[in-house]
Amino acid sequence: MYFAEFMIYMLSPYEMVQLIVLQAQTLVDRLKAKYVGGIIISKEEMFKELSDAVITCKKDVVTAAVEKAKGEGIPAPEIIEMGLAVGMNEVGVLFERGKLFLPHVMMAAGAMEEGVKLLEADMPKDAVSKKLGVIVNGTVEGDVHDIGKAIVSTMLQSAGFEVHDIGRDVPLQNFIDKIKETNADMVGLSALMTTTLQGQKDVIEMLKEQGMRDDIKVMVGGAPATQAWADKIGADCYAENASEAVVKAKELLV
Amino acid sequence: MTEYKLRMGDGKRIFMTKEQIIADLKEGMADAADLGSIPDLSEDEIDKLVDILTMPSRMVGVEQGMEVPVTHDIGTIRIDGDQGNSGVGIPSSRLVGAMMHERAFGADTMELGHIDYSFKPAKPVIAQEMQTMEVCQQNMVVPLLYGAMPNMGLYYTPDGPFENPGDLMKAFKIDEARQSMEHSAEHLTRDIIWIMQKMMASGSDGVNFDTVGAAGDGDMFASLHAIEALRKQFPDIYIEAGMAGELMLGMHGELEYDGVTLAGLWPHEQAALVAKAGANVFGPVVNTNTSKSAAWNLGRAVTFIKQAVKDSPIPCHVNMGMGVGGIPMLETPTIDAVSRASKAMVEIAGVDGI
Amino acid sequence: MGMPISHIMTSGMSGIRAAGDLVARMQLSKSMRVGEAKDYVAKKLDVTTDDLSDEYVMRELREDLGIGVITSVAGAPKGIAAKMNIEKLLDLNINCCDKFRKQIA
Repeated sequence: MYFAEFMIYMLSPYEMVQLIVLQAQTLVDRLKAKYVGGIIISKEEMFKELSDAVITCKKDVVTAAVEKAKGEGIPAPEIIEMGLAVGMNEVGVLFERGKLFLPHVMMAAGAMEEGVKLLEADMPKDAVSKKLGVIVNGTVEGDVHDIGKAIVSTMLQSAGFEVHDIGRDVPLQNFIDKIKETNADMVGLSALMTTTLQGQKDVIEMLKEQGMRDDIKVMVGGAPATQAWADKIGADCYAENASEAVVKAKELLV
Repeated sequence: MTEYKLRMGDGKRIFMTKEQIIADLKEGMADAADLGSIPDLSEDEIDKLVDILTMPSRMVGVEQGMEVPVTHDIGTIRIDGDQGNSGVGIPSSRLVGAMMHERAFGADTMELGHIDYSFKPAKPVIAQEMQTMEVCQQNMVVPLLYGAMPNMGLYYTPDGPFENPGDLMKAFKIDEARQSMEHSAEHLTRDIIWIMQKMMASGSDGVNFDTVGAAGDGDMFASLHAIEALRKQFPDIYIEAGMAGELMLGMHGELEYDGVTLAGLWPHEQAALVAKAGANVFGPVVNTNTSKSAAWNLGRAVTFIKQAVKDSPIPCHVNMGMGVGGIPMLETPTIDAVSRASKAMVEIAGVDGI
Repeated sequence: MGMPISHIMTSGMSGIRAAGDLVARMQLSKSMRVGEAKDYVAKKLDVTTDDLSDEYVMRELREDLGIGVITSVAGAPKGIAAKMNIEKLLDLNINCCDKFRKQIA
């Protein structure tokens, strides 16, 4: 501000008139934006600020942006859907492109969660704490590979799903038990070895035997899994990587 | 309109017109160029890829004089190993397996590895590994490395002493997850060095780090430090470092080597660090997408690897096993697809070996 | 097995059928790029770089130099004996040969 004042003293009278006209015009534009049917532009700017705040992965930045948006009178569901969630999607894209890493994804998810908490009081009752869906995720019995599955769980969780990661080398019956216990909408079955791939098929058969198959979506993944394999065993979808798992889960559950 | 026989990334037969092949090649290339911020292939190179993909013969070959050494990972397990190791289950000793590769198949180098194929489980069977290395070295002529995966996941619960960072991360315990990775990396480095001290005492030519970074940037961090220590201790050791995937996964996100953050590195960026640590040969990887055509995958893989070869200060032996380097993700990858990918990597990407 | 054999047939230097092991050894021991490694080995063998993948040329040369051949020629150096000749030929030390020398010293 001091610099701006200093600049004014440096200007010629003609330049000063020009500056005043310019500032007046800017003010008019801003007023127009806010009050003369231009509220969409203002909202868009706010949504961008919210989205950018999530991408910083910092809680205080996100909560500040949420407070500001609330102050602007933007409805809570819009703050979440058009701002925070958009930012979280962008975090997923940046993760896939190697620009952000797993800790960042978690920090962003944590920051978004804090932001959402500030909005809970303003949310419609049925929307509070509503998750996109419940997913049981694990690596099938005999297979000790954990990391890829853990990344998928993290990405699903940060995208807004309630995820129950039941680990690796999971006895197949445990998938069934956990699905029942959590009333899950989807089960994710990971296998990193051709020898354990069969476990994915076995879980699907067990779901059929127990009359549960129609009530749950099945996602398969892991290095040796392919779309052709998913088709063959009757899975609902195959995901090539963690980001695709989020996209497919949203397609099937949201 | 003429249609050519190609493969999907999962190995399935498909038919494509020349225009479709070119479109897929360019799309794959553009994906690599975009992700890695690297140049596209030239029009001549795309034309050459089209030629390779549309050759009518089942198998193709590099032009005479352009042959390159073919090094081997997983080694003898391929012969006597089980399905989980992509082995063919022929009952045989590892010496027999190694000599079959040398004398029957014409392999340029060979590797000894144990059935579990990670460094950590080699510790309890080290005497067996040492004895087998001695016997193999007494009988063989081609360079014979000891090979294993760093596989840092084995240091996390329930397999190892450190709390599983995946679980910690999901509970938002990010600092604890990072500390767990750092502790695991220290132990992994120590184990690799110890194992290779034993193997070098048994006459090994050196070491092949197979699938560096499989557990993310901590895995690469530990491997680079092990390479550095081994180079200091054994100035003449042969060190080959092959990667696990195209992108260094940022499980930790802040680990650095030589002032460079490891997370998020693409093959051409990984090469310099591997060389700096003291490796002799770098094995870049590009993953195959099973839902895309061979043209898409090969266009993408060649674009990435060409840049890695250009930027690498040491020879690049591109990883071209199941599901990488344009090879279909299939236990029995089709010969037509393997052969075409192999030729393309040598003649267009300019690799120093496979 | 189809994969490694396909690679060897498509692009490989055929190991000890020709001179692939020697070129690979220079890459692994001295970090030589493929062109440099081929030039180095060709010079040491007094052949062209194309000859390094030529079984016709290398079969006899390998036997003459005692650096290991693919068939079980009676009396021809094998294993460590062949590698000791490779050491001299390529002007480098091979770990197992060093160990062997220490054992018989």
